[in-house]
Amino acid sequence: MSVSFQLVHAKPNRITTIALSWMLFAVGVGLYFYAAQKRHQENPEDRIMPTVSQMFHGMTNATTNPAEDDEALPENASLRQRFFASMLWKDTVATSRRFIYSILLLIPAVLLGLHMGLFPYVGVFFLRFILFCDKIVALSLLPILFIVFGIDELSKIMLIVIGVTPTIILDTFNLTKGVPNEQIVKAFTLGASDFDVAYRVVMRQIMPRVLDSIRLNLKAVMLFLFAGEMIASTDGLAYRIALLRRHMGMDVIIPYVLWVALLLFLVDFAMRVANRKLHPWFQEA
Amino acid sequence: MELIEIQNLSVAYGKPSRPILTNIDLTIREGEFVCVLGQTGCGKSTLLKMILGAEMPAHGRILIDGVQHNQPDRTRGYVPQKYSLFPDKTVLDNIAFGPEVSEFNMFTRMSPRYFRRRRDIRDEAMRYISRIGLHPRDAKKYPHQLSGGMQQRVAIAQALMTCPRILLLDEAFSALDPGTRKDMQRLIRQLWRDTGVTVLFVTHNTQEALHLGSRVIVLARESDEAGAQVAMDMSVPEPCHEQQIPVLVHHLEHASGSARAPEPVFATA
Repeated sequence: MSVSFQLVHAKPNRITTIALSWMLFAVGVGLYFYAAQKRHQENPEDRIMPTVSQMFHGMTNATTNPAEDDEALPENASLRQRFFASMLWKDTVATSRRFIYSILLLIPAVLLGLHMGLFPYVGVFFLRFILFCDKIVALSLLPILFIVFGIDELSKIMLIVIGVTPTIILDTFNLTKGVPNEQIVKAFTLGASDFDVAYRVVMRQIMPRVLDSIRLNLKAVMLFLFAGEMIASTDGLAYRIALLRRHMGMDVIIPYVLWVALLLFLVDFAMRVANRKLHPWFQEA
Repeated sequence: MELIEIQNLSVAYGKPSRPILTNIDLTIREGEFVCVLGQTGCGKSTLLKMILGAEMPAHGRILIDGVQHNQPDRTRGYVPQKYSLFPDKTVLDNIAFGPEVSEFNMFTRMSPRYFRRRRDIRDEAMRYISRIGLHPRDAKKYPHQLSGGMQQRVAIAQALMTCPRILLLDEAFSALDPGTRKDMQRLIRQLWRDTGVTVLFVTHNTQEALHLGSRVIVLARESDEAGAQVAMDMSVPEPCHEQQIPVLVHHLEHASGSARAPEPVFATA
């Protein structure tokens, strides 16, 4: 057996897998704190690379104190009260609310893609237009959206809708087209109606892949959401990051960035688990 | 009684159009087991799709019980070679799909009658599972957990659950190994005898056609540019003696223009 064959067919054991998969995290964290330590030795007032204690202090403030523009809490407020009035909680709720609205608005996109793929007249009516919309750089529309919808929530949600829905529509369209015609014909021979074929045959088959497609587009959703929040908002995680940038508040920006990554990871994980539970046949097949 | 009447059927595909079937005239009586035989690409599956209503002919018409149908419906059950089962449904759900989907919609699913009737349908589906030789515990399996032969058994049961008048099988056993294929041939013959359903079985295997069919129709084209026509329409003697088979195979393969040796798959009916 050649060496290259062994490399391709290698089966790392559990301990090696864990060690290798965490190694880059450890190296990254180690390098950061080494560089931060060096910078602080040269300049104790350095704010570009905060130390662990500075970040801990910054995050403690962010999770127990309200934002500067909010009303201060009474001195005897409990920790729970402090957390739910804190800057981090308020920003997380604001961003999550916009995120959930945006994800809910993807449902009509999935339904449109399904009908486009299944009913040729609907397909030819929408396809060219959606393909064109998909090529528009959504961020270039931001000024137009602010002019048309104002700087409130709607413009930010519309930015996400315009940025992500064409991709989801086209993905769903292609997935629907991929359902073997034999199955559609068979469903009709078993007495199914158009509605049954769409929702009880095709929709159920493509749903796991649609959820995967939405999962892969989560980062794009957050990207457009952050762009909108950074430019015109009064709350939200991206708004706070943009605001703190002006004050060089890296002790809060870095934990905020990690918090956003963690939230996105949790959403992705929850969707993966839900997909596995809802569609056991898909994972095994 | 005549069940399927095909009158002057012609089909052409592509641009420039290439004839696939030309002037097909056929009558199939109720209760017949008709095998449609021919070389690959001669239009057997096209003919089946026309009868199914999945495609419409350029010329001519197809009458089922005197009525022209322009889309697939419950009168004609269908078992394709691949993708015959819904992958997201268990064996039981697949078999029960037909009666459930045609009897209940989103609103009637809330009525008490639904639960009673659903139980009856599921009981009937379980009986079919035993009848096609599967174990009751297979009812909860998904199609990908079954072998090819088991999947086709379920597909046949699924099609028969709606009591179609015609059962159309498109190379349904082609992907199976010889042993499983032999079992499937026995099963489909048995189900045909038991239910009295009219069967139209498309195959390119001459011996399979002879062993299964009560009648064999051979499609063949005179030249590459011409569409296929009925080259031979033959009733298979019942019982078909072993000695007769090589002679019949020779006749049929001569009619279909096949020069290749008979395929080894051999099942005694």
